[in-house]
Amino acid sequence: MELIPVLFLTALLVGYFVLAGCDVGLGMLMPYLARTRGERRRAVSAAAPYFLGTEVWLVGAIGVVAGLFPELKTAVVTGMWPVFSALLAGWLLRDAGLWFRARAEAPSWHGLWDAAIVGGSWTIAVCWGLVGGALLAGGTLASPFAAAVAALVVVLFLLRGAAFGAERLVPPGREADDADGPVGGDAVGGAAGSVGSVGTVPAARVAQTAVSADAAARLTRVLARAGLAVLAVAVLLGAFPGTLDGGLPLAAAAGAALVAVALAATAGTEGPGRSRHASALAMGVMAPAVGVGAALPVEPVPGAVLTLVAVALAPVVPLMVVGQVALYRMLRRPASATGFFAQAAPAVGVGGGARTGAGRPAGISRFRPTAVGGPQGRESHGA
Amino acid sequence: MLDDPLALARLQFAFTAATHYMFVALTLGLAPYILFNQLTAVLKGDGARMRAVRFWGGLYVVNYAMGVLSGLVMELQLALNWSGLSDMFGYAFGAPLAVETMGAFFIESTFLGLWIFGWDRMGRWAHWTCFLVVTATAYASAYWVLVANGFLKWPAGFRIEDGTAVLDSPWALLGNPSALMAFAHVATSALLVGAAVVGAVSASHLRRGHDPDRMFHRGVRHAVAILLVAVFPVVAFGGLQFPYVGQDPPTSGTTYTAEEIAAIEAGASPAVKAAGTIGGDVVMMTSWLLITMVAGIGALVWLARRLDRWRWFHWMLICLPALPYLASVGGWVFRETARQPWVVRHHLTTADAMTDLTPGMAVASFAFFTAAFTALAAVTLWLLVRFARRGPEGGPLAPAPAEPDREGGEPVPARTL
Ligand code: HDD
Ligand code: HEM
Ligand code: HEM
Repeated sequence: MELIPVLFLTALLVGYFVLAGCDVGLGMLMPYLARTRGERRRAVSAAAPYFLGTEVWLVGAIGVVAGLFPELKTAVVTGMWPVFSALLAGWLLRDAGLWFRARAEAPSWHGLWDAAIVGGSWTIAVCWGLVGGALLAGGTLASPFAAAVAALVVVLFLLRGAAFGAERLVPPGREADDADGPVGGDAVGGAAGSVGSVGTVPAARVAQTAVSADAAARLTRVLARAGLAVLAVAVLLGAFPGTLDGGLPLAAAAGAALVAVALAATAGTEGPGRSRHASALAMGVMAPAVGVGAALPVEPVPGAVLTLVAVALAPVVPLMVVGQVALYRMLRRPASATGFFAQAAPAVGVGGGARTGAGRPAGISRFRPTAVGGPQGRESHGA
Repeated sequence: MLDDPLALARLQFAFTAATHYMFVALTLGLAPYILFNQLTAVLKGDGARMRAVRFWGGLYVVNYAMGVLSGLVMELQLALNWSGLSDMFGYAFGAPLAVETMGAFFIESTFLGLWIFGWDRMGRWAHWTCFLVVTATAYASAYWVLVANGFLKWPAGFRIEDGTAVLDSPWALLGNPSALMAFAHVATSALLVGAAVVGAVSASHLRRGHDPDRMFHRGVRHAVAILLVAVFPVVAFGGLQFPYVGQDPPTSGTTYTAEEIAAIEAGASPAVKAAGTIGGDVVMMTSWLLITMVAGIGALVWLARRLDRWRWFHWMLICLPALPYLASVGGWVFRETARQPWVVRHHLTTADAMTDLTPGMAVASFAFFTAAFTALAAVTLWLLVRFARRGPEGGPLAPAPAEPDREGGEPVPARTL
């Protein structure tokens, strides 16, 4: 009977790492991939709507651990209090950065929250790495094996972020028939800056250069190779007798083999290629491999608790599925450089100054496409 | 105090919870209001009302962000700092929280994302339905959290085996009177919070003669109407809780004997408890009285047809939000301090529930989260005030101005209204 809750928890964790790997990884890569204002804006607008739908998987997993597997919570969380506290701190700062960044226009404001996003994303990935390493190494953080596993996890996050970026950082307008909606004035300025002194080039032509996306695509191969190297080190260290004591070394080895296959699949190809799926596989393997490999304790969930949770959740599971599917369908296209998470709303009247040209009554703009919308959304979302 | 991890952890939790609740109360109060406005806008096909929805929705989303940030910290803090609670009551206390995260928050956040990004990509009814789901799950969230919190006050539905609680009856958990009445009181008092904020924002715009689409004219009316409807249920559900305050919970005696309980309670310092309960009570009752007076005056001004003209009344509305916020924090201080020295009454003391933290760990955690929280809450407050003052043209959900000179042709009319 404990099989269903365990599978449920596993699904939540796998979902979290596969989906959130995208926005966390992209956040880690921002200093490298997004150097101009416009590129950073686009990177945030790719990561930000995503995180709304991805971190709920982790919140759900935490809830399930707390409610259905208290002994697991004691074994994992309480034993690693500093790591989880740091994880929480990084999570808090990163979310704050994603929420707040677009609420004002000052460069220093953007700089502050960009730092929070990048720092928070790294903190999250490193902490998950430490958790995985310590669990596999039997609870100790200070072993070369734990460090190697941590490094591997960090590389996998980066790979996932790069694969995601290669797809989403393409400026709209690159596809010939994509009549994307508003290209904000600032976005144009930013993109122009990245190409050099072409300040007067029309938006559509500047947008042809997808500098960030190309850089991300190239990065996938480098990261896959680095990942293979780190994985080899981790496997070597793990093969020492006694390293995986108390766990199930076979399960860990199976996980390592899957990760190796995934990495090898993209290590040779130019460009993003298979990296999207391969990185998803690698991220998805992580949680089950660590969980089974470290033989984490799960006890049967008492019947009354199971009844409570099942009765409460059964009616809403369809809603969860519908919402998630609809959200990811809506966010499937390259990220727009405008919108709720990308750009501060035009300040009309109070402070900031209107960007829309002097003397234009504010009301006129109201009937135009919204920041978040954009006409092309209709095609991708059906009716 | 810095060398007492228990005091620090308690203070940290109280501070986080109070901050969380300040934002959550507005979420709960504003959501039905937005839902109602969007419904009328969709029914009447009225673009003007839809712009008002964008305005209040912008405030909602900014406020929601801080609700989520602080909620995450609450959840993790329970796991990190209060592990004794889940060691003994993991299932009974944790299961409702598990349902809250999965069944309420998971859906709430997903559908809020759909609502934000679907503005011009969905049909108007589909878009409204998204917000219906958001509102319903926000209240579901509150219910489940209060089931967990009510259990602490009124533990029921389990037996103790080998020092841990084994759940006997899920229904006793779900129907816990301490949870149900708290839910009714919280829901109605959150309406007061929402109405006071809507009223204050509307009045401050009317005072400046700024009333696009007459949305603030409607805002003041709606605010007064909601205040009038909600004040009496608030006091009724509040008063109903008093009988439970001193009573022994049904499971009393299954962990400690009556003598042991008396000894533990005698050992606790009565000062904090007295200050919290008396102070919280006085704050709530005073605020309630003042809110009721403002609502009554509003009704008279309405009868005199001067709601959008009399400036002294606008000032009154502008100052009003302080009262329900004060009462809300006061109510929680009452509820939580009245439970001391127990986390779970007559079963588990606060001291036993705490994780063994070294003073260094406790200080580090306290310092970081308190500082980060103060900063984030201050930023959110600043943003809320800023967007509220700007009005509908400058809000986070305001439509982007189409660039007159951009490539790519015609501006396309928005689909939803
Ligand atoms: C707008 C906010 C507001 C207002 C005007 C009031 N309350 Fe309240 N009160 C709350 C907001 C609140 C709250 C924040 O929502 C609490 C905290 C816990 C709870 O269940 O609701 C609460 C708790 C709370 C409790 C503690 C319950 C417990 O310990 O289990 C009592 C006895 C009352 N209230 C009674 C009253 C009375 C008699 C009021 C009017 C005269 C009143 N409240 C007005
Ligand atoms: C609804 C969910 C809530 C739960 C499950 C909860 C639980 C807890 C826990 C575990 C503690 C620490 C142990 C203790 O001191 O008893 C605590 C303390 C406290 N909480 Fe809450 N809390 C909730 C909501 C709130 C809210 C919204 C407030 C708002 C002000 C609040 C105010 C406090 C205060 C003031 C204390 C310190 C009491 C003291 O140490 O004397 N709580 N609560
Ligand atoms: C009376 C007390 C509480 C009420 C009414 C309440 C209600 C809510 C609501 C409506 C939200 C949605 C966010 C928003 O709309 O702003 C939320 C967020 C959250 N709350 Fe609370 N909450 C309370 C206390 C707690 C406690 C004690 C915990 C910790 C276990 C908690 C955990 C969370 C978490 C993790 C979030 C963010 C994610 C989520 O929405 O679930 N809340 N809360």
